[in-house]
Amino acid sequence: MKNTEKVAQRLALLEGISLSPADLEWIASEIEDLERVVAELEEFSQDTVWISLQAQPAGKKA
Amino acid sequence: MDGADICELSLTDLSKLLAARELSSSEAVSAALARLERLEGRLNAFITVLRERALATAKKADEEIARGNYRGALHGAPVTIKDMFETAGVRTTGGSKILADWVPETDSALVERLNVAGAIIVGKTNLDEFGHGGTSTLSHFGPVHNPWNVERIAGGSSGGSAAAVASGIGPLSYGTETGSSVRRPASYCGITGFKPTFGIISRHGSFRGAWSQDHVGLFARSVKDLTLGLDPVAGFDSRDPASVHQEQPTYTARLDANVKGLRVGVLRRFLDAVNSEVRQAFDAALKILAGAGCELIDLDVPEVSYAAMTSMMTSSAESAGINRRWFRERHQDFVPHVSRGIAAGMTITASEYLIVQRARHRIREALRATYERVDIIASPTTARVAPLLSDGIKGNGDDTRHASYNHSNLLRFPSMLGIPGCSVPCGINMEGMPIGMQLIGGWFADQTVLNVAFAYQSTTDWHTRRPTLLGR
Repeated sequence: MKNTEKVAQRLALLEGISLSPADLEWIASEIEDLERVVAELEEFSQDTVWISLQAQPAGKKA
Repeated sequence: MDGADICELSLTDLSKLLAARELSSSEAVSAALARLERLEGRLNAFITVLRERALATAKKADEEIARGNYRGALHGAPVTIKDMFETAGVRTTGGSKILADWVPETDSALVERLNVAGAIIVGKTNLDEFGHGGTSTLSHFGPVHNPWNVERIAGGSSGGSAAAVASGIGPLSYGTETGSSVRRPASYCGITGFKPTFGIISRHGSFRGAWSQDHVGLFARSVKDLTLGLDPVAGFDSRDPASVHQEQPTYTARLDANVKGLRVGVLRRFLDAVNSEVRQAFDAALKILAGAGCELIDLDVPEVSYAAMTSMMTSSAESAGINRRWFRERHQDFVPHVSRGIAAGMTITASEYLIVQRARHRIREALRATYERVDIIASPTTARVAPLLSDGIKGNGDDTRHASYNHSNLLRFPSMLGIPGCSVPCGINMEGMPIGMQLIGGWFADQTVLNVAFAYQSTTDWHTRRPTLLGR
């Protein structure tokens, strides 16, 4: 998928919110960064356990 | 003693005078309010000033102390709080237009505990909107100015709190930190700032920036004053899911400048990005720690290179979740840069957030192993002194999205991992701006962090330097 398509796909998540062209340009540039960062972090975290954040109710005892 | 002298008192000395009734709370609060009113036009450090309420509460404190009901070090002392904490009957804005007139019916946990301790809240301080920023320029109420040079930023997001303490408007202020919002402004404003381990101070009744990274922290001019402000507000609170069970806090009683034999690690590869004057001040500070008997150990933890991007992605996704509803209904009412950040965060998918948390766990494990080799990690708090306001948000020079050895990694990893950190003043540059050093401990090593900071301040006087703006 081309970069422009990926950006458009993400911008669709903001549907219904009226943003100015300047805002959209800034957000699109953030999204391009985000794509790259996620790829780097995915590579970095390979072989790391998936963590669980299951929480118990306050004061719960076994 | 005149008002200017009262404002220069440490909390340690002020509380002794209040307990002995050699100074009244009414005098102390009046002095803080007078200084606030004299400087506020240049600092813009406050959103709401509680003049009448503070004076009335001070009068009650004086009556209680006169009857022999002295409650402790904060009783009758003027303090300030970031406008992130709910205050019953007093507007709580978060620095946002959206809540510009919102008056909560209940107090936050922090305010409850301050009330029990008898502290007098004189004002609510300015901040980046809902804590989203590192400059305190992203507020609906305008930017905070640095008391050392009003053309420079105070740092954020707790910039109003840092500017207040640096200016002597109360010896103590409480803020919050999600990325670096206590340590950075403390460094830029030449004061001492501390963020404890995640869960030590309850966040109940304060706005969420990013729930897995949000902390309550505090500012003072010295470590000793910090611990006096920490003891009454730390402790378990079932209303905060992150709160941890702990003994009655006794940080002040356990403060100990004997740090001989403690191991202080230095992540040298991250120092390349540091400004030369900051580097010199930091190197001199390390020599002081070595002189106090600490063992300096060079460390290499390459995983920290990913800390800034991991922290930033976590913040973005969580703040988008928190603000989603308001953003859909009122996005035009957010400060523009904050609004754009929330919009970008809303495009992060659930699976991407989980990948980021996996990376975060790898960094956590690397630091867990590191803290088996050292007790403290020391570094410059910020790579450079407070930037000019005219440089805008770019002035901080943060590049949080690149896996390079940039300095934001050092600022960001403590909050992301929930470990304690303290910034202490360690120099002044040629332009007269303060420089800070941060001391970062492992999980629940809060006392060790405070003791090393205390040892440093026991043999240096950087924390006693004051902004020239103050005059008398």
